[in-house]
Amino acid sequence: MSLREQLAASGAAVVEEAQGGYRVTPPSVASLGRAVAMVRAGKLLLQVRGSGDAPVPAPANGVLLDLGSLDRVAAVDGGTCLARVEAGCSVAALEAAARRAGCTLGPLLPSVRAGSVGAWLAGPTRGERGIAGSRRETAALGVAAVLADGRVAESRPAPRSATGPDLDHLALGGGGRLCVIAAAWIRLFPFAPAAAAWWTCADLAAAIGALEQLCRDRLAPARARLVATAEGARFGASWEGLETAPMERDRAARTVSRLGCGAETAPGALHRVREPPAGHAVEVDARWASLRGWSQQGEIQLYGLHAGGAHAALTLPEEAAADASAALARAAGGRVIAPRRMRDAGPGWDAMGAGAAWRRLIEALGVEEAAP
Amino acid sequence: MIRATARPLASPSARGKALARELSALHIAVSCDPPDLWAMSRDSWPRALLWSKARVTPHRPDVVAWPADAAQVAAVVGFAAEREVPVVPFGGGSGICGGVVPVRGGIALDMKKLTALQIDLSARTAEAGAGLLGQRLEELLNAQGATLGHFPPSMYRATVGGWLATRSAGQLSTRYGKIEDMVLALEAVDGTGALLRTLEGPFAGPDLTQLLVGSEGTLAVLTSARLRIWPRPRAQWLRGLRFPTPRAGVDGLQAVLRSGLRPAVARLFDPLDTLFAGKGGLPAIPQPLRRVAEGARGEALRLALRAPLVLNRLVEALPRASLLVLGFEGESEEDCAEEGRAALELCAAAAGEDLGPDPGERWLLRRYRERHRQPALFSAGAFVDTLDVATTWDRVAALEQGVRRAVSSHALAIAHVSHAYLEGCSVEFTLIGLAGAPAAEIARGSPDDAEADLEEAEARYDACWKAALDAVAEAGATVSHHHGVGMARQLALPREHGEGMRQLRALKKAFDPRGILNPGKLLL
Repeated sequence: MSLREQLAASGAAVVEEAQGGYRVTPPSVASLGRAVAMVRAGKLLLQVRGSGDAPVPAPANGVLLDLGSLDRVAAVDGGTCLARVEAGCSVAALEAAARRAGCTLGPLLPSVRAGSVGAWLAGPTRGERGIAGSRRETAALGVAAVLADGRVAESRPAPRSATGPDLDHLALGGGGRLCVIAAAWIRLFPFAPAAAAWWTCADLAAAIGALEQLCRDRLAPARARLVATAEGARFGASWEGLETAPMERDRAARTVSRLGCGAETAPGALHRVREPPAGHAVEVDARWASLRGWSQQGEIQLYGLHAGGAHAALTLPEEAAADASAALARAAGGRVIAPRRMRDAGPGWDAMGAGAAWRRLIEALGVEEAAP
Repeated sequence: MIRATARPLASPSARGKALARELSALHIAVSCDPPDLWAMSRDSWPRALLWSKARVTPHRPDVVAWPADAAQVAAVVGFAAEREVPVVPFGGGSGICGGVVPVRGGIALDMKKLTALQIDLSARTAEAGAGLLGQRLEELLNAQGATLGHFPPSMYRATVGGWLATRSAGQLSTRYGKIEDMVLALEAVDGTGALLRTLEGPFAGPDLTQLLVGSEGTLAVLTSARLRIWPRPRAQWLRGLRFPTPRAGVDGLQAVLRSGLRPAVARLFDPLDTLFAGKGGLPAIPQPLRRVAEGARGEALRLALRAPLVLNRLVEALPRASLLVLGFEGESEEDCAEEGRAALELCAAAAGEDLGPDPGERWLLRRYRERHRQPALFSAGAFVDTLDVATTWDRVAALEQGVRRAVSSHALAIAHVSHAYLEGCSVEFTLIGLAGAPAAEIARGSPDDAEADLEEAEARYDACWKAALDAVAEAGATVSHHHGVGMARQLALPREHGEGMRQLRALKKAFDPRGILNPGKLLL
């Protein structure tokens, strides 16, 4: 039986692409399991794509698992602020379902919003977003992951557990390398009106410094926008939370005032915080020092702010290319995560002294891939 | 049943003496002295307290080593890997799941010399050695105006490494998170002796830090951790709220969390605990329950525990009121009061009555005491254990009822919501049951009598524990929220993880290919 026939026997739609690669679209988790088992048994290169993710070709002599048909939002519970969703579902569709239940995913990087839930969780942000108290945590309460033999490992949906290592972290941020995310329990926030404010300060670095201070004082906003101007810089931030948004905004205003930034009183503060950037943004995961060192021109939008740094969409003035923005971010120590063509591999387990453990893990999980 | 194989203070083994000689040659402090071996033979697992009462030591290490730094840890582990000798990391011994019991002997690696601490106030981080005691760490941070925000009941005995190894939770976790939320990066030695240093980020691939946290010494020996620290709050607001029923209390607590407020303290007590916490409530508590919950001595306690079904029925008949202790921390009294007022309004909508600050302050005063009352109960012939489980809000009621029903013929069950999140909570059960004879009676009897009593006590304890864990699994909850697994809960892991057990075993092969690190835990 040919590889194509074997893959088709899994119940998935199979399309042959250039260089001997196959695009495989399973209609169910069971079919996905069968397809993964065949791919892993053959040690084929594997890539995963979901709804909304940028089109990618199947790897040469390998398989692109297209999860576009696994796009169901199985349940949204506004009471427990949880959604059960298949990995191929787009983040936008999940947000729409969450809104109908009076909830939201909260502010997320534009590339995350445009992609699938699976790509969000398996991608470089690991599904992380900002939470109250200047902390960051993954939105995945639990993950159903397809192992090399096609069986599904699923963690219990509990807010926290202490039953050994957090096995979900074999899937989160793994890019499908160790296992393939099939579905997940996603944490939601109750939807609430946001409170926003704007300030002016000396330059972008000073604005970054002010936001860093807010985060270290446990007053991280849900999102922020910083814009370089001829006179220096302006920055706005918004807080979410039914009771806490105005409280935190007012406390933040006191801190920012002490740092020497002037408050702006123009109307539409929240709208202006949410305004999309004018040029081509490069998205990075960065520490505060890296953000301060990026550029004194252009615009920065921040998400997932925490005491150590933030996810940022960086946009240089319109004439500058995204490549220039990415180069500046890298030079300052940030890791470029979008657009995908510019994504940095970043330091991995080798850099942590765990390269040998990684190789043993690949073997133990049965997910070896033959060289292309 | 674990067989009693050795009396305390038995002579060191030949393997122990040989290991001690070789490790000494590596300039590592070691001991084969019987008291040292005994000290490393168990933690605070209630089942091990039964062993202590019976004066038996079922397992003990062959040798104890005190590495001075990460390099010496790597040297010991590398040495042990070559010889396939087990290595069991030991922190403060405060764990209650038998996580450090050396079931295959070997080297007990006492980490208490690794106490280095570097505080970076501007970065809000602290690099803490794994052997640093929790209370000492907090004192050193406080001296510089900072806090970790981690206050488990084991504060005075547990080490940073122990917290991380078991995914510990402090009493202010709703504000600060659990220890896994506080750790930014780790230094550790894997089972081959390789030194690992995880990155704080940004980095590529799965989060190695989160795969090592909670591994209970089975994948790597944690040597230090970079932790997030915060400015020490200048003000605190504490209140007690009385709800007509536990369900109303849950509604009030959920309303607070859904509003975006993050109380530092959020603990909701069941009707029995509520009566004990309340002023002048004791006369309302039936005498047998008072005997048990107050830790009465001797036959009065044993008599009450002979009829756990009756005790649990008495609890069901109590007034259903439920106490919520709520607290906020912040930069100023005004900030705390502002959040407190908002929380009181939300709770009032769920029929929560403000009892003022007294119940909260009483809780604060007594919060580390409970555990220290336990040895007296064991000496009197009882066992007492805590079961910390967690689930989503929609399953909490079924979980609580299921566990109560399952253990009702084995032990008195008391429960409280100990840690609360937007999507769910941890419920902590205190289980008090009849174990065996009082310690004084055992001391007067023969060793055979002691072993017979131990066998009976273990059977009772195990039956209660199994019933409870089965009920937790049945309710779809996780069997441990913050105490870890150790030996106590490992048999529940296959139901907990399902196919994930194969991922766990793969991690073991990757990080500890010789299988020397803390064998017999996590089913590894």
